[in-house]
Amino acid sequence: MRELVAKRADALHPGSWWLLGLSLAMAAGLSQSILIALLISAIAVALSQVFRTSAPWSRSIGFYLTLAAVIVLVRLLFRVLFNSGLETSQIAFSLKDIEINLGFGPSVHLLGAVSWLTLESAALDGLRLAAIVLSVAMANTLANPRRLLKSTPGALYEVATAISVAINLAPQLIESLQRVRRARRLRGRSKKIGALTGTVIPVLEDTLDRSLALAASMDARGFGRRGNLSRAQQVAVRVLSLSALAVFAIGVYLLLSDPALSFVAAIALALGAVEVLLVVRISSLRNVRTRYRRQNLNALDVLVWALAIGVLAFALTGFGGAQ
Amino acid sequence: MINITDLSFGYAGAESPLLRRVNIQIGVGEFVLVCGPTGSGKSTFLKLFNGLAPHFTSGTLSGNIEIDGHDVTGRQPHELASLVGYVNQQPEGSFVADTVEDEIAYSLEQLGFDPANMHSLVVEFAALVGIEEILERSLLTLSGGQQQRVAIASALAAGQKVLVLDEPTSALDPSAANDIIDLLKRLTRERAITVLLAEHRLERVIAKADSVIVVNGDSSVNKFAPHEAFKEYRLVPPIVELSQKLGWQPAALDPAEASGRSIERSQWLDRVPPQIGKTLLSAEGIVVSYGSTKAVQDISLEAREGEVLVIMGENGSGKSSLIWALQGIGVMQAGTVSTPWGNPRNMSDDSRLDVVAMVPQKAADLLFLNSLADELAESDRVAGVAATTTAGIFAGFAGRVDPKMHPRDLSAGQQLALVLAMQLVKDAPIVLLDEPTRGLDYQAKAQLARMLAQLQMQNKSVILASHDIEFVAQIATRILVLGDGQIVDQRPIEQILGSGNPLASQVSQALKTPGLIAVQQVIR
Repeated sequence: MRELVAKRADALHPGSWWLLGLSLAMAAGLSQSILIALLISAIAVALSQVFRTSAPWSRSIGFYLTLAAVIVLVRLLFRVLFNSGLETSQIAFSLKDIEINLGFGPSVHLLGAVSWLTLESAALDGLRLAAIVLSVAMANTLANPRRLLKSTPGALYEVATAISVAINLAPQLIESLQRVRRARRLRGRSKKIGALTGTVIPVLEDTLDRSLALAASMDARGFGRRGNLSRAQQVAVRVLSLSALAVFAIGVYLLLSDPALSFVAAIALALGAVEVLLVVRISSLRNVRTRYRRQNLNALDVLVWALAIGVLAFALTGFGGAQ
Repeated sequence: MINITDLSFGYAGAESPLLRRVNIQIGVGEFVLVCGPTGSGKSTFLKLFNGLAPHFTSGTLSGNIEIDGHDVTGRQPHELASLVGYVNQQPEGSFVADTVEDEIAYSLEQLGFDPANMHSLVVEFAALVGIEEILERSLLTLSGGQQQRVAIASALAAGQKVLVLDEPTSALDPSAANDIIDLLKRLTRERAITVLLAEHRLERVIAKADSVIVVNGDSSVNKFAPHEAFKEYRLVPPIVELSQKLGWQPAALDPAEASGRSIERSQWLDRVPPQIGKTLLSAEGIVVSYGSTKAVQDISLEAREGEVLVIMGENGSGKSSLIWALQGIGVMQAGTVSTPWGNPRNMSDDSRLDVVAMVPQKAADLLFLNSLADELAESDRVAGVAATTTAGIFAGFAGRVDPKMHPRDLSAGQQLALVLAMQLVKDAPIVLLDEPTRGLDYQAKAQLARMLAQLQMQNKSVILASHDIEFVAQIATRILVLGDGQIVDQRPIEQILGSGNPLASQVSQALKTPGLIAVQQVIR
């Protein structure tokens, strides 16, 4: 059973998990009630647990939970610490008011009486941020990063390869760091073999050697063959892809930051979509490279997409009047 | 299949070219062993076949290479990807994908194969090398042998007719290495794939090869029939050395070829029993684990003066973990290590050098400075001993070497001697070595054997991890075989390496004479 569920996380397109994660994060950003922020956090954590695989990136949810807790605590602590100290109604608890006179302007108050209202707004702020973190964490733990890279448009192939190679090299870097450290300890306490000569340079050398070996192996297996795209087409593809990414980011930012600008946001998103279509169109002209088992969308993906859009619509309409 | 005419190759600034006027023909489906001393240019020679030399090594090329009717001289590696498959020493360093099937499909993708045919090709080549069961596994979870099979399948999946392998078995244990060699042999027979294989441990391959290319290191390259090769070539595997000592004609290339031959009792000596002194190191109940993986489970051992104790066992059986735990730096969850000078774990890094010397798997890791002279001087300074102490020990091992040389330009054998000298600067009585013969040619191994003999004479206690059976037969006084982190065999050495045992040396297999395990026992 466990395996069946686990397989399902991989059955989904990694992009679907990210779509759901981001829409939950947006909903969390828009939420004005502690209850909804908590609910979103709970959904994100539950999803990441139910669909968890044995992959290394699946194990990081504990880290994100800790991070979320720290965010909430820090938020509360700061609000209590930097309280104006002048609250009078609905006092939750009182601490000794510390007044610091800076010698200019009004004096600064630390601690003092804290009202329920202050605590509630601090908790909402903290929980909202925590919910955003956990939503992104959900996508991050469930989407296989390599398969996400495989789904990048052909024009970004080189960039995706570079990222994929970096993912490969990371564990090797740790391994060579451990090895070099041990070797350094074997040499005893040397003044001449400091941090630079003793660790940084050997590890860099190692990394460089490995990178060259990898580059050689990739080249020997056909990487680097140029397609039959003209130079101008290649440039166009790259410019379009990057600007599509930028336009999308701007659209999403506008959507989140100011509901009044949602019309502009919609235009930006539409523009990005058109650019993506163009990129795919031009890229398909070069047939030099093919993809093995490109991840196709299935019914489950459609379900997740519908869920994501539903969540977003629900959030944009004020959570059905729940707040 | 391959025609090399008048090929020369050299690096700018070098005194003489690496290869000069090489002329060689290789036929379809030929299994070619490429050998030569370390640093002779073997790797570069192999890289010429798919353009990695000069495109990844720099240097200039003249002459002509023709593969399968195509003139490939000076072409880029990716232009030759559909013609020549290339596999190097460390498959994990050349993987691009994360799962077995994606890795095999990689060059199919690069070469623009129709996606509709890809899966059947991936399955076909996975089955050919025997990994069809693990297509969905992550590459990181595979054993070294499995990783090398993946690398071979991905080098051939696009229908390449030539397969070039640069020491593919150097990191494998004997049984995994033999499986890979057998697989390559089968590929030449069943698929008519031409295989060029560079290998240091000739004993693994020589009997199966159709021909031998010797890269001499003096810029000449020659091709021989296997039986002819060793008439010219100085570095010979133990079984050939045996044939030469006993005057067999033609020389036996593997134990099977020696069947029917025998040896007079007067022609060989018993192994000299070592002069064993008092116990220098004793370990009780050692347990090493990494997360949920148990590398060493409850091992106890003792090492005495004058002993060379060899820890054998397959990759992953816990050899390295055990050696590092004994040394004191490695992790250890339970157990005690004691020496007459105390527990090495409780010593500082500096004072530990008084008691334990350690040469790790990659000895060159210990070399940080820019010249041999600097390294030797720094070693004296850190140890607080008289100047030139380290240099003296080093000269005893390696003879005279130009002190201005960069440590990375030393030969693998010289690097090993240097690291051993630096570790012995305070005359530590216990010497640990982790797989010291990896990547060494026979000459360097002979040098290492001499160094170990010196240490033994000085009444030190040597513990080394190795799966180089022929080398172990020469130097060991006692063997512990590990399996899954436990001692599975500790019989006398003549039995563990004797004929009929999984770790039988080639000399035992050839002569089936109880008590005779190493060629050094044979009198000329």
